[in-house]
Amino acid sequence: MRATDWKRYLRRWEFLLFVCLVVVVIYNSVNVSNFLTAQNQVNLLQLSIEKAIVALIMTFVIICGEIDLSVASMMGLSASVVARLHESGWNMALAVLAALAVGLGFGVLNGFFVAKVGINSLAVTLAGYIGFRGLAEVFIEDNSIGDFPSWFTKMGQDGIIGPITFSILLFVIMAVVATVILHFSGFGRQIYAIGSNARVAVFSGVPVARTRIIIFAASGLISALAGVLYAARLGAVRASTAQGFELDIITIVLLGGVSIFGGIGSMVGVLLSILLVLNIRNGMTIAGITGNTQTGVIGLLLIFSVLIPNLAARAQGRLLRPPVDPQFQAPRVETTAQNAG
Amino acid sequence: MKRRTLLISAAVGPFMPAIATVVEAQSPEASPVGGVATATPGQEVNMMLLPKFLGISVFDQANEGAQEAHGELQNPGKLDFVGPTADNSVAGQIDFVTNAPAGGYDVVMLSNNSGDQIDPAAEAAVAGGTQIVTWDSPIPSGKGESLFVAQVDFDETGKVMADMALDILGEEGGKFAILSASPDAANQNAWIASMEKILAEPEYANLELLDTVYGNDESEESYNQALALIDKYPEMQLIMAPTSVGIVSAAKALQDEGLCDSVKVSGLGDPHEMTSYLENGCAPEFALWSFVDLGYTTYYASYLIATGAIQGVAGESFEAGRMGTYTIEEDPTRPDTGALRIVMGPFSIYNADNPGV
Amino acid sequence: MTDRLLRHIRPEQFRELILLLITIGVMLFFWTQIPNYFDPRSINRLTVGLAIPLVVAVGQMLVVLTRNIDLSVSSTVGLSAYAVGTFLGRHETSPWVAALLAIAIGVGLGAINGLLVAYGGVPAIITTLGTLALYRVLLVEISNAKTVTTNDLPEWMGGLPSKSLLTVKDYDLRLMAAVALIALIGGHLVLRFLPYGRRLYAIGSNPDAAKVAGIPAQRDVFLAFVICGGLAGLGGFLYLIRFGNITVTAAQGLELQVVAAVVVGGVSILGGQGSMFGVLLGVVLIEVMQQSLLRWSGLSEFVKDAILGLLILIAITVDAVLLVRLREAWVNTRRRDRAKTRLSLATEGAADAGD
Repeated sequence: MRATDWKRYLRRWEFLLFVCLVVVVIYNSVNVSNFLTAQNQVNLLQLSIEKAIVALIMTFVIICGEIDLSVASMMGLSASVVARLHESGWNMALAVLAALAVGLGFGVLNGFFVAKVGINSLAVTLAGYIGFRGLAEVFIEDNSIGDFPSWFTKMGQDGIIGPITFSILLFVIMAVVATVILHFSGFGRQIYAIGSNARVAVFSGVPVARTRIIIFAASGLISALAGVLYAARLGAVRASTAQGFELDIITIVLLGGVSIFGGIGSMVGVLLSILLVLNIRNGMTIAGITGNTQTGVIGLLLIFSVLIPNLAARAQGRLLRPPVDPQFQAPRVETTAQNAG
Repeated sequence: MKRRTLLISAAVGPFMPAIATVVEAQSPEASPVGGVATATPGQEVNMMLLPKFLGISVFDQANEGAQEAHGELQNPGKLDFVGPTADNSVAGQIDFVTNAPAGGYDVVMLSNNSGDQIDPAAEAAVAGGTQIVTWDSPIPSGKGESLFVAQVDFDETGKVMADMALDILGEEGGKFAILSASPDAANQNAWIASMEKILAEPEYANLELLDTVYGNDESEESYNQALALIDKYPEMQLIMAPTSVGIVSAAKALQDEGLCDSVKVSGLGDPHEMTSYLENGCAPEFALWSFVDLGYTTYYASYLIATGAIQGVAGESFEAGRMGTYTIEEDPTRPDTGALRIVMGPFSIYNADNPGV
Repeated sequence: MTDRLLRHIRPEQFRELILLLITIGVMLFFWTQIPNYFDPRSINRLTVGLAIPLVVAVGQMLVVLTRNIDLSVSSTVGLSAYAVGTFLGRHETSPWVAALLAIAIGVGLGAINGLLVAYGGVPAIITTLGTLALYRVLLVEISNAKTVTTNDLPEWMGGLPSKSLLTVKDYDLRLMAAVALIALIGGHLVLRFLPYGRRLYAIGSNPDAAKVAGIPAQRDVFLAFVICGGLAGLGGFLYLIRFGNITVTAAQGLELQVVAAVVVGGVSILGGQGSMFGVLLGVVLIEVMQQSLLRWSGLSEFVKDAILGLLILIAITVDAVLLVRLREAWVNTRRRDRAKTRLSLATEGAADAGD
């Protein structure tokens, strides 16, 4: 039952996203001048490349049945660490390494609280969401720190292969690696197993706690990396850097067909979703449509992407995308007792 | 291009301080071009008016002014009033500026909320053929920016605030705190810095600044910050809020606590929003400038730069429709950056004699 | 001693006790740091500050109980505050009509969420992430960039924030706090005594079993979203009363504060678990921490958020660790009791057989 659902889902959901993408690209090409220029295509990716990078790891987190709300605050924190250390005279490369280490460390900490202490990831990363941003404020206060070495800002801003920047190249490589890990490795299968049913996974000998810690550690590390890249692209860091990105990132992943309850989703879907969202935003920005309308359109798309297949399935009596099925939810082993007040 | 002799008309205004700046700057020595550029109507310039974010009344007033100028100059091009959402202001502004050349815009009129983080995007936009003219809040480094249309002289803002503080507290002075917008707002930070500088002068020796806190231009945070200030500093007599959201929130907080007799509010506020606090004495005096005029002036400056009527170098003078003549000068509030500005002015001071509505 | 206690109190009630102690501890700490910490004005302000998050958290709790979440509440609060403020600027009405209008707006927005989640099969987090954006966009569109200011508001509203229903030695029970308390007690009564409340626990604990047991889960979940929306609408009215100046950013970010309060208050994000008393404690703890950090003059403006994050982490960790320990102890006590009973039964049985 699961297997056939899964295949059908893979065939159909990604296909639908692909069709949407094609429609948007054609629409933009016809209606928006300069859309198809190479520079614009690079801009389109480059302007949200950090979010796209974090979306890759967020896919793992959500398929694993967890959530990480602290990613954007971690981006801000790592950018702040880099800036602060650079300002106090550190070698830039060392500063970057330090920022990545901070990301890894706090990621492990998130994972520890989720996997070992047994606190819900929403609660843990909510604390991180506030606390990491707070640390960024401690480091940067009301300043704006810039004047980075030129190799650093070049890395963030200039093309290395034609107009393609380091960040974009890195994203492509990471996307390939992420796809391989998620879909073609034992580790990937374990993530699906944990996300589908953590209790069953424990009994089947999956190292649940370890896997969860690894996932959160990777989430911290990659968010920190994205923060560094963002700092390089903007050339200056403020305490509010990357504020509010977490909801955009989660939206992209969910639109890609990843179930918020874990165990379902594919990297192809997320990649298509990234392209779809970026193309919609880019076309609307060039056409002079306000940010509010853009956000509204993405919000509607998010809801309708689930609603319409559900309704269609109900009408046809068969499933296009599986509706929320409680069995896919991630019951935590510890939480069984009831308190009926 | 029509050239005119220096105009005296600009001097006929009720607001002497700012006008004085304009007149000084107009002295022929300062103007190598030697004349006043005027706009030729009917040229096609595609313009984008990009505020910090949408949904704030002062930015809409700026748009009114820009639309007025757009009509006057019969620009067959487009004037789009676009902006990011409030929670995505920094990244959203960078998106709009980066994509402006692809959208065919000749000028972006920007109220910068992104600090120096906008630099690469602004420079890329200029390289792509789009000029950047800032208003309300400049690019701190001046990179990519052709001109900053300053609403008032930023150094004067500090003086105006200090003067209002003395007015309210009397000659014997007193203790006060500043409730600002966000910690990284370029314009507020510049105003606060200029106020701190002027407080060192003997005239203002009796004014003591206790603390600076931030309400992030949100009603709730500003309200809570105002209350916290009262707790922290029982001896505080005045809250100075150089932001239109902060000043109304602080006034409301004091009114609700019944403390308007002992603690007053002042700063920069929209008179339409402040009427009741002016009447009940919570905010006896505050200041602002006209955002309609700011949008109007910015439009003229941008149009002139985009059409090549002015080059955007120090010393050039131009006529901005009904607002009169301005001369471009180096921005003394951003020294060593080579950034240029014009100062619109003037400040309007609102009090019981001049409620502004 | 613990044994005896554990015979009478369930671990979850213990947890509330712990949370209460943490809250008192935090308040005592700040009392040593901040002068006049417990003077009437500070306490009155705290209770008024609690009102808005508390009202919204009560609704959120009902939704979370059903294993759902409503992230759109902050936009609902903002939209209702703005719409009612604009309405009052144009029409003369009584406070009651204004309050009902606010609730009605919230109910409408909540019903949209409820329809999509319960009947459309769209997961709650997707739905409300979408409507969080959409309701805010709606606010920006209808506002036309006009700010609602106290000038637009009727005379009667000016006195409401400081209106007190009961004053003992300068300590007020302010109207706003009373409204929030009524919502809280109402929520408690619903959960405790109405079949609907019991069904919410059942749905959240095990949606499948609830369905099998014949519980009208769709209708109940829909209703939970409607109530949540209605309370958020009421929260919007309180927001309008308190802050008076409503811009398009009104209440932005409130959703995470409320979710944090509900989670800290011991309501399981996986549904089926939690109490209104816990919600009250969660809201109080977070509000106390936020307000006290603001007032703590020994503290730099820039370290507040870092400390708040740390405090929340400590609170949920202490809570989680103690809860696990307590539950084990509770289970052991029960097991021992049962073993004893069994033993005595067996002895009795043997005695019987011996007769």
